[in-house]
Amino acid sequence: MNMAALSEAQSFQPAVHPDDKSEAMLRLLTCGSVDDGKSTLIGRLLWDAAGVTDDQRAAILHASHARAVNGERIDFSLLLDGLVAEREQGITIDIAWRYFETERRRFVIIDSPGHEQYTRNMATGASHADIAILLVDARHGVKRQTRRHAAICNLVGIKKVILAVNKMDQIDWSEERYRAIESDFRGIAGNFSFSDIVSIPVAALTGANVVARSVEMPWYDGPTLLEYLESVEARTEPLDAPFRMPVQLVLRASNDFRGYAGTVTSGTIRVGDRVVDARSGLGATLVRIATMDGDLESASSGDAVTLVLDTDLDISRGAVLTETQRRPTNADVLEARLVWLSEKPFDPEAGYLLRSATDLTPVTSMSVSALIDFETLASAQAHDCGMNDIADCRILLGRSTALDLFAELPLTGNFVLVNAIDGATVAGGVITWVQTGAAAVGDNVLVLDRARLSGLCADLGDSPDDRAEYERRAQEVAILLRSAGVPVLIDTDR
Amino acid sequence: MTALTSHLKLLEAESIHIFREAAAQFRAPVLLYSIGKDSTVLLHLARKAFWPAKPPFPLLHVDTTWKFQDMIAFRDRTVSEMGLDLIVHTNHDGLAKNINPFDHPPSVYTDIMKTQALRQALDAGGFDAAFGGARRDEEASRAKERVFSFRASGHSWDPRLQRPEMWQLLNGRLGKDETVRVFPLSNWTEADVWRYITLEELDVVPLYFAKERLTVERDGQILMADDERMRLLPGEEPRLRKIRFRTLGCYPLTAAIESDAIRLDEVVTETLEARVSERAGRLIDHDQAGAMEMKKREGYF
Repeated sequence: MNMAALSEAQSFQPAVHPDDKSEAMLRLLTCGSVDDGKSTLIGRLLWDAAGVTDDQRAAILHASHARAVNGERIDFSLLLDGLVAEREQGITIDIAWRYFETERRRFVIIDSPGHEQYTRNMATGASHADIAILLVDARHGVKRQTRRHAAICNLVGIKKVILAVNKMDQIDWSEERYRAIESDFRGIAGNFSFSDIVSIPVAALTGANVVARSVEMPWYDGPTLLEYLESVEARTEPLDAPFRMPVQLVLRASNDFRGYAGTVTSGTIRVGDRVVDARSGLGATLVRIATMDGDLESASSGDAVTLVLDTDLDISRGAVLTETQRRPTNADVLEARLVWLSEKPFDPEAGYLLRSATDLTPVTSMSVSALIDFETLASAQAHDCGMNDIADCRILLGRSTALDLFAELPLTGNFVLVNAIDGATVAGGVITWVQTGAAAVGDNVLVLDRARLSGLCADLGDSPDDRAEYERRAQEVAILLRSAGVPVLIDTDR
Repeated sequence: MTALTSHLKLLEAESIHIFREAAAQFRAPVLLYSIGKDSTVLLHLARKAFWPAKPPFPLLHVDTTWKFQDMIAFRDRTVSEMGLDLIVHTNHDGLAKNINPFDHPPSVYTDIMKTQALRQALDAGGFDAAFGGARRDEEASRAKERVFSFRASGHSWDPRLQRPEMWQLLNGRLGKDETVRVFPLSNWTEADVWRYITLEELDVVPLYFAKERLTVERDGQILMADDERMRLLPGEEPRLRKIRFRTLGCYPLTAAIESDAIRLDEVVTETLEARVSERAGRLIDHDQAGAMEMKKREGYF
């Protein structure tokens, strides 16, 4: 490929200079209660902003006619509800990802389900978004599920929220009603740490204030939804964030190559800088940043690289490489706020694993201290939590691992809880407090290892299947012991 | 080589992160290599993720025996140039029963020669994870897919029970009899793939470029008569048309578009200006409503 051809290839859209669009795509979540019109709003946005191809248009027109839920109108939700069950029931079950570009910007829209039973899918979507559109039906105002979704957006770290008051056509475009809902929401938002809240009155079905400016609401002089989305600044990292790179794996190759592969989660590192393994405290000098495209002088947040050090730190997956000054805590006790995702409620006797950046750490004990009340948004003391709850909890780990506070460094301050037996992701959480040395393994903790389970596992060898079976039996034994009040740790010997 | 845009650089880094997470967490991964543009990008990213080491997994091609000849030639050349391990699997039961795209409806043919063949190959190799080049922008049910997509025993996909996947954290812990499909290109669009191929100067199968090829027109679609097995309907006379393909598969089931795009930049421009989605050229996806979802439920990747 010659250079002339390349420059031509890049000038495909003449209306906007390529540099204007070079920034990363805006990741946009739509959420809100069921039937407030999320899929319709996004369908309308795609339809009017040309994110729909001709064959898709034809298929939607055809299917709309067959379903006729909106009379003669186009059923925009069919653009997003891609599962057979969703189309049959006319509901959204799981998040849908839709990619489109306008002349100004690239977007991915993450459309999330409104039903309470699918809140965990909404939480998945929210955790990937830069900004959230929270939809409210103008006839009903803010509902319990709206508050829950706002609380989850806040928990996962979204800072910018658009309150879209939808179905304005159903309330005769009433400014008074709109202002009341807006004021209600701004009151609620005081509970959260959103940095930006913008409110827009829309009618997804007619398209008012989505892409085209509404003629029915002359009293509204703010931006249309698309105007705002095209101009809002995406999430940015502070310039002087401390360096972190969780190690994903150790790469070895001929010529004695040994490098630590990972994605930089914050800050910048340069060849010649000192780096430290956060757990052991051992340091080394960075001699090389290796990539297939050639060595780099520096690597910054978001870069997937391989670091070569001057001395072997004897670390593996799960370690966090950090700068020498502002280090993470080598923690074995933490407090966190989490959203419970599993249908099985929290069980203090079950075996859980804490999955942080690249580490997987056994949980020795865990307790819930409070739940958020979705009517008042206040915390209330509690000891149990179940699906879709937001809870504050305290977790003791079987060994220490490098952790940050989520508010400071989100990608080394978040985690998911994993059910040790079936592997399910049962909760997603953000770390609010960490400490070292509080939960050191004492003499009273029973360690289950191969030797101790040699009788029970006498039939098991060293094959992958046998190791999995060993682990399953060990977890079952641990559950029995914990229910008898014995603190247990499992040595998985993997 | 021209520098990647910041957008493509981010997508590339995200894909590399996914490859490394999967390689670290699964016992026996395999890369489903289907030779097209998406597989080309997928393989390139796999090499970047583990460089200077080689990708720590083999490639798997499910060969229906009806692929375009140019695809097979490209496959063999790529694998030998890069020094990679390739497993080629064909469903020999299906072959023995002469299951083919002319005598059987696309749904039957695809199920036996692609879906069942894939399941056979994954089971035979004992693979617990399979990388695929699927993108969420391809099709409505794909738009619902996780990056780590868990499959119950028998490789079935239950879209109502997908595992939550929060932030950058990819939980690869498998339950009993579970396997996983891994999709590093989840967030790429068709346009991103072409832009990346251009900027990284990657080789793709020549079928993506316009050339005079022997074709017939059938039900409004242009099909290429790639070899002597092409069955003609009464009155059909193959003739030369200047065509290219937007997506590649089995030649009797893959529609071409008439085009003059002979250079990569022309292909990119044509793709970005296209008014129909790329899957419009895949005859197997139009068989019935929700066709892709049904295939995925049964174990199609």
